[in-house]
This record gives sequence, C-alpha cells and structure tokens, in this order.
Amino acid sequence: MRFWLIVAIVSTILAGGCRRQTAQVVDPVQPAQLATMSWNELTQRARGTTVNFAMWSGDEARNRYFREAVAGEVQRRLGIELRIVPLSDAADAVNKLLNERLAGRLTGGSIDMIWINGENFRTARQGQVLWGPFAEHLPGLRFYAESARNRDFGTLIEGYEAPWQRAQFVLAYDSKRVAAPPRTIADLRDWIRSHPGRFTYPAPPDFTGSAFIRHLLCHFGGGAEKFENGFDEQLYQQAAEATMAWLNDTRPFLWRRGETYPSSPQEAERLFVNNEIDFVMSYAPSFASEKIARGDFPQSVRTFVFESGTIGNYSYLAIPFNAANTAGALVTIDYLMSPEALLDQARALGIVFPHEPGRLSPEDQSRVGNLPRGPATLTAEELARHLLPEADSRYLERLEKDWRERVLQR
Amino acid sequence: MGRRRRGEALTIGMIGIPGIGPIVMLAVWSLAGSWFWPDLLPGAWSLRAWRYLASPSSGVLEALATSLGIALAVALLALGIGWPAARTIASRGFSARRGVIFLLLLPVLAPPLASTMGMHALFLVYGLADTVSGVMLAHLVPTVPYAILVLAGSFTRLDPDLEAQARSLGANWWQVWCHVTMPAMLPGVAVAGVFAFVISWSQYLSTLIIGGGQVLTLPLELVSFQRAGDESMAAALSLFFLAPPVLLFLLVGRFMISGEWRHTR
Amino acid sequence: MFFRKTRSGLHRSRHNKSLIGLVPAGLVVLGLFAGGVVVAIGQSLGLWSATGGHSGLTLVHYAGLWRDREVWRSAGLTIGIGLMATLSSAAGGAGIALALRRRAARSGWISSLLQAPLAIPHLSMAIVLMNLVAPGGLVARLIFRFGWIGGPEGFPELINDGWGVGIFLAYLLKEVPFVALMLLALLLRVGEGYEEVARTLGAGWWQRLRHVWLPLMAPAGLTSALMVFAFILGAYEVPALLGRQYPAMLSVVVQRRYQDIDLAARPGAIALAVVLSLVTAGLVWLFLRVSRRHGGAERLVLF
Repeated sequence: MRFWLIVAIVSTILAGGCRRQTAQVVDPVQPAQLATMSWNELTQRARGTTVNFAMWSGDEARNRYFREAVAGEVQRRLGIELRIVPLSDAADAVNKLLNERLAGRLTGGSIDMIWINGENFRTARQGQVLWGPFAEHLPGLRFYAESARNRDFGTLIEGYEAPWQRAQFVLAYDSKRVAAPPRTIADLRDWIRSHPGRFTYPAPPDFTGSAFIRHLLCHFGGGAEKFENGFDEQLYQQAAEATMAWLNDTRPFLWRRGETYPSSPQEAERLFVNNEIDFVMSYAPSFASEKIARGDFPQSVRTFVFESGTIGNYSYLAIPFNAANTAGALVTIDYLMSPEALLDQARALGIVFPHEPGRLSPEDQSRVGNLPRGPATLTAEELARHLLPEADSRYLERLEKDWRERVLQR
Repeated sequence: MGRRRRGEALTIGMIGIPGIGPIVMLAVWSLAGSWFWPDLLPGAWSLRAWRYLASPSSGVLEALATSLGIALAVALLALGIGWPAARTIASRGFSARRGVIFLLLLPVLAPPLASTMGMHALFLVYGLADTVSGVMLAHLVPTVPYAILVLAGSFTRLDPDLEAQARSLGANWWQVWCHVTMPAMLPGVAVAGVFAFVISWSQYLSTLIIGGGQVLTLPLELVSFQRAGDESMAAALSLFFLAPPVLLFLLVGRFMISGEWRHTR
Repeated sequence: MFFRKTRSGLHRSRHNKSLIGLVPAGLVVLGLFAGGVVVAIGQSLGLWSATGGHSGLTLVHYAGLWRDREVWRSAGLTIGIGLMATLSSAAGGAGIALALRRRAARSGWISSLLQAPLAIPHLSMAIVLMNLVAPGGLVARLIFRFGWIGGPEGFPELINDGWGVGIFLAYLLKEVPFVALMLLALLLRVGEGYEEVARTLGAGWWQRLRHVWLPLMAPAGLTSALMVFAFILGAYEVPALLGRQYPAMLSVVVQRRYQDIDLAARPGAIALAVVLSLVTAGLVWLFLRVSRRHGGAERLVLF
C-alpha cells in the first residue's frame, strides 16, 4: 500500500509537470480573418495573453535585454506577457515544428513566434509549418525596403515572415597584433600562407562560418548579385570548384592545419582572446565594440570589411502553424519592428538600424543619426557602401555539404 | 616504511586532484572578470556571473527548479517502482533472476541513443515530446533498473523471517515497517535514491531529445553557456550543477563503500 | 490431499502477489526501454515513422552506414579511445587500490576522496579540462611562465585534437577513481591473509603481485572495465565538447544526424544507434558471463 501511496504522490507531481508545459489555448486568429479584423480588435484580443518567443540565445547581453527590458515594455504597452524560449539554433525549432506537423499536432503548439531566416525559413516553408500570410497586415512593415519584404536568401517570403533585424558580415582583428588587415580575398590568402596557424573560421553549418565561405563562392562566381535569384547549377559548379581550391590551398596554413575548426564564432573568439588566432568574424557589425565595452576584448580591437564588400541580410519574425496565440504574436511582432523598439535595441545591443531611412519620420531619422557608435564599429555609410546581397539558400546548402565532404573530411 | 608513506601520500595527492581540483578551479573561473593570456590569475575579478545567475531574467533559476523537480520526482518514482520489483527479485522462490538481471542491466549500461530515439517517436505521437512528463519518463529508463539492483541487494541481506517474527509477536504492519524493514533497508534506499537523483540530474542527451530544447534543465543551460564561450558563466553554472551530486554522495558515502553496507549505528 | 491443495494454492497466490510487484518496473523496462528500442529498429528498417515517410521493409539505411566513410572512421576512433581509456582506467584503478588498501582499511576518508570525482558529472569534468589544457589554458600559461613554450601555439594539442587525447583524459579522470573504488572494496573484503601467507613463503614483491593480487582482482577488474567501455561507447557530453568535427565519436555523429534539419537523415542516425545498442547488449551479456563466475552480478554493479 505504501508503494501506491508513493505512486499517488509522484503522479501528482507528474501531473503538475504536465500542466506547466501545456501552452494556453486562446482560440487562435486565422490568417483569413486578418483582412476583416481591425488592428484595434487584434490588440484588444491580445491583451492579457502570453506570447512564447523562440529565439537564438547564445548571448548573455541579448538574453538579459529581451527578458527584462523588452518583456517589460511589451507588458506595459500591450498587456502581453512575453516569454523567451531560448534556442541554441533556430533549426531546432523548425525541426520541432516539422515533427509536430507530421505527428499531427496541429493546434496548441508551445511556440507563438520565432526568430528565423535563410535556409531555416525555406525548410519551414517547404514543410508548411508557418502560419500566414500575415506580414502585409502589420503597420510596421512600411518602414522596410522592398528588398527586405520580398525574398529571404532567395526564397519568396509571400507574407509568411516579417522583416526585423539587419546583419552584415564583418571581420575583427587586434590592431596591436596586425597592423594592416588583408582586405581582399587574394590578400587574405597570402596573409594566411605567410602566417601559419593564425587564421580559422567557424565550421559550417555554423551561420558565420558558412557566411565566410559564401564570400569566397560569390567572389569566384563573379559577384554576389549573380547568386541572388534562383539556383544555377553551372554557376555553382564553376564557383564551388574555385572555392574548394582556395580553401584546400590555404588549409594547411590554418589554425591546427585545418584539421579541425572552432564549432562556433564564440569558440573562435576564445581562440582570438587567447592569442591563438588573429581574426574573428561576426554577422553583427558592432560585436567587437560590445565585447570591448564588456571587457571581453582588448581596447585595440577593430573591425573591417572586404573591399569588394561583405554579405548582409535581414532576419525575420514568423509564426508557427500551430501557434496557440496568433493574435498576441502579431501584435508583439509589430511592436518589435517599430522604430522606437528598434532604436532602443540599437542603443542597448548595438544592432544595425534596419529601417529604410527615407521611410522614417524626420525625428526618427535624426534619432537614428545620433545613435552612439562603439570604438570598433564602422560607420553606417561605410557598411552600406560595402553591402552585398545574400545568396539563394540553395547555394548555401550545397556549399555546406561540399565543404563537409571536400574540405573537412579530406 | 618511509617510502611506503611517501608513495601513499603521492597516490592520495593524485586521487585528490580530480576530486577537489575541479571545484577550486571552477570557483576561480566563476569570479574572473577578464582573464587574458598569459595571466595566471584573472586580471580583474567580478561577480558578474553570479549576479547574472541569480537574476530571474537569466532563466538559470528556472532551469534549477526544473532540474530539481525532475530529479526529485524521478528519484521518488524510481524508489516506488523499484521497491516491489526488488522485493520480488530478492525473494527465494524467484527463479528467473538471471534473465531479469540481464534485462535490468541493459538500460543501465547500454547507450541511451536508440531507446531514446524510439521513445521520442512514440512521445511525439502521444504528445509527451517537449514536456516535463516525457522527460521524466525518459529518465526512468536508466534509474529504475538501478534502483531495483541496489534495493534487491539490500533485500537479499534483509532476513524475511525477521519480519514474520515481528508480526507473530503482534506487531502491526506499521510497526514492522518502522522497526524491522526500514532500518535494514535504509542504506539501500538512501543509495538507490541518491543514485536515481544524480543520474536524472546529469542527463543531457535524453533531456535534449525528448524535451526538444523546450524542457531546459541545468546541463542544457550549461552546455549552451559553454558553447557561447562564456567561461565564467559556465564555471559558475558548473558549480551549481555539481553541488547536489557531491553533497549527496558525501551524505550517503558511508553506505556505499562498494557494496559493503558498513553502516554503523 | 486437501491439505496439499490448500498449501499449493496458498503458495501460488503469494507468488502471484509478488509478481505483481514486477509490473510497474516491467512497464518501464519493457514498455519504455525495450519498446523504444523496438520502435527505433522499426524506424531504421523503414517500417514505421512518427514523422511520415516510411518506405516498407528495407535495409537501405544499414547499407548506407556500411558505405559511409565517416561512420568507419568514427567507429575506429570510438573503439580506439574506448579501449585506451578502459585499459588505462583499469591499470590506474588497480594501482591505486593496491597502494591505498591498508590506509583505506584504517580510515574511511580515502573512499570519500575517491568518491568525489565520481560525483562530479562528466559534463563539468569536460568543462574543467577544456579550460585547463586548451592551448591558451591554465597549464599552457604556467609552462609559458617557465619559458618552455613561446606562446599558445607551442603547447601540444590536447583539446579538439585528432587523436581524442582530451576525451581520453576526461574519461581517465572519471573512470580511474571508479575502478579503484570497485577494486578497493574487493581488496578490503579479501583482507591481507593471502598476502601474509605469500610473504611467509618468501614471495617477493613481483611474485605477490603476479600470483596473489592480480588473480584476485582480475574478475572484478574485467567486469568494471566492461562497464567503463560500454559507457564510453555511448556517452555524448565529453566527446561533444572535447572532440573535433571530423572524425567525431559515434554518439556525436548519431546525435548530429538525428537533429539534422533534413529529416531524411534521421533513419540512418537511428540505424547507427541501433548498431551501438546491439554491440553494448553483447558486452552486457559478456559482463554477466564473467561476473557469474565471480559472485553475483548485482553486487558488482552496485559501486
């Protein structure tokens, strides 16, 4: 009998555990209703609900900012409780959604919105795990350039995600160690060969490492613009051949002779700080300034871009097909993409301001102009002048696979 | 004699290093502000990691609560499920002991990969994937057999005639339980409970697969901080992570000197 | 006649009652564990899938493993590291147990000291090791201070290295104390009797080791070694943090393919996991065969 007593106690605990994890179901708004619903109605409906926001969370400052400042602001303005679901990779969430679709869990999902772009968006669209189209109904969409609304890494968006942040690839170096960093692909090759063991990149499919080898692909394919729209097998073959040759040519001179690679930009940053390598790279142009401010990088670190430019892209906010609280997600997304929210993010996290300046009010334009810039961050004009478009995500997938087979496993 | 002394001291030093060294080093790392090559001690000390861990916005306290809740429930469940099974297996009339022990050893020793992936597929269909309950069920797989094996060991040392004698002397089941069964079983229960707790507490892969990144326990947070390259945070979290197992082991250590239940009372 | 019938009836009912006690445990071991394995095998054979896309009975996923160069290299690495770590742990554990048996018989804190690394999770141990012996880590800095190396690049690669030295070291730190504890318990049970006899018979140090202690420790040593090896085969955290991307240990390969965003990679990952499980099941069976000759298996598993 005592056994059953224990079982009873424990099942109570278990039942408690069950309840904690099930998402609240608030009769989600359907995409078709959006046309007839006013924004006011939507806001009313969202008030008092909880929104679960799945976002990549490998950065302490970002986590803290979203959990504290943003969640507080969303609660104050919209009456919505914003809960952050931390992800180590957006692909994990897409994977989870694909699983749920195939297992038939069509409602009451535990994620209401997700930070996504590129091949994850394409996979999600193909697997039909996104809710929409919704982006056209968001008032905040008008601040973004056409290019940000149409295609994400070459994939047609069709209203299934709303543009949010902008990123541009930069490299960082310590000006005390390296006087003049190599600013072309050819110079980089020479630098690597004359400084054995001092350069490496995060192993693709890491986002940043993948972007690094994509620069080579675009360079050898005759410019990033050629890779923007659709997949061309012949172009890929020719450019990939030269890319693999470049990579294998420099490989013996990489950190650890190119036998292994850091698995993340953060791991590369640790090597950089420990004086094992001389360059790190990031999709966040202000990352070095942020690290200097936090004491993680020495004061002498600076960033640079290639003379031929670096790839930039937008990241987006999407809603899962089985989201329980679509109304709350819509309202929250619209707030997060508003000028005031983004200005605040730019001040707190140093993000690139993603809106098209011409589409902002004069006051907001001057506010954007007055944003503080860290010691290691390039000016907005410098970045804009060197901005390259992102390649179609099918190139990215092929390149990552080829890198694995022809560079890593050689 | 002197040489042996020195040899012993050396060996003790050697085994002390993996036991105590990590804890000291983690403590230093957790307090490091910035620590650049080639400094042997941090250039600046900082409470940043600890302050962040203690703040509700880090999610670490939540993960701590989740981890504790899961491990406690799993330990209780494992004891509850293990007790009657162990009693049966230890009873004299039980003939299929060897086969059962083989079955029990498999989940203890076999890699959790295949079974967890199979469970994940089942849990996806029954809505247990990504839930705390699903994770608890997955943690039962290695812990229940462990509890059974430990408790069965204690039951074989418990003389069933003692219980019968107590009963024939007029003791009711509660008195028998308090004065005969429990005292004899206490070391086994303590060891089984602690092991079930510690096994569940340190599960990484099964939590990741079954929990789908939605059920966040301490080891998952720890790996994500380590991958994010935040060394002081990972160190502080590591201390959080290893404190309960170390304390519990110290607590029941005297019961588990290798199957010798030399408890002195 | 009547009497016998009641007795056997009574006996049967007691027996049935006690068998009911096995039901909850059976649900866990057979339902969750064995059920999980069966479903996994089904998925790897293309028979069933929670995520659709099952193809009917096929061995294509196993054939794919057979042709997969990465799987073979990973298997080689896994077995190599597993064997090295197991043998070293067995030797180190035996040495420590022998060296400390007298002191441990007098004072209990030796065992406590050995238990401390046992209590430290593998994950924490890997993190400590990472910060310690990385090229920019504490050990390298110390050696740099002595002027033996000119910079981090002069320090040998011990983390994320091609031979899995970091993984090996982490397992060593964890498993040597484990084996030592198992053997120490045995030595304390056996006592010094044999040793005294051998000594009076004039046996030297080497002879006593060769003819008294090694035979005494062999069965327990072998079973604990098998446990260590089986564990290393499937463990994930240590190689995931301390290994390199290629070749990675099998568990890391399985996990990476299982979580691949391309769901088509999943059955292959499960097939590899099934193979690993079958190998371990074989090891467990071997473990039981060995330990049967030497006391009960239950006792040996219980630390």
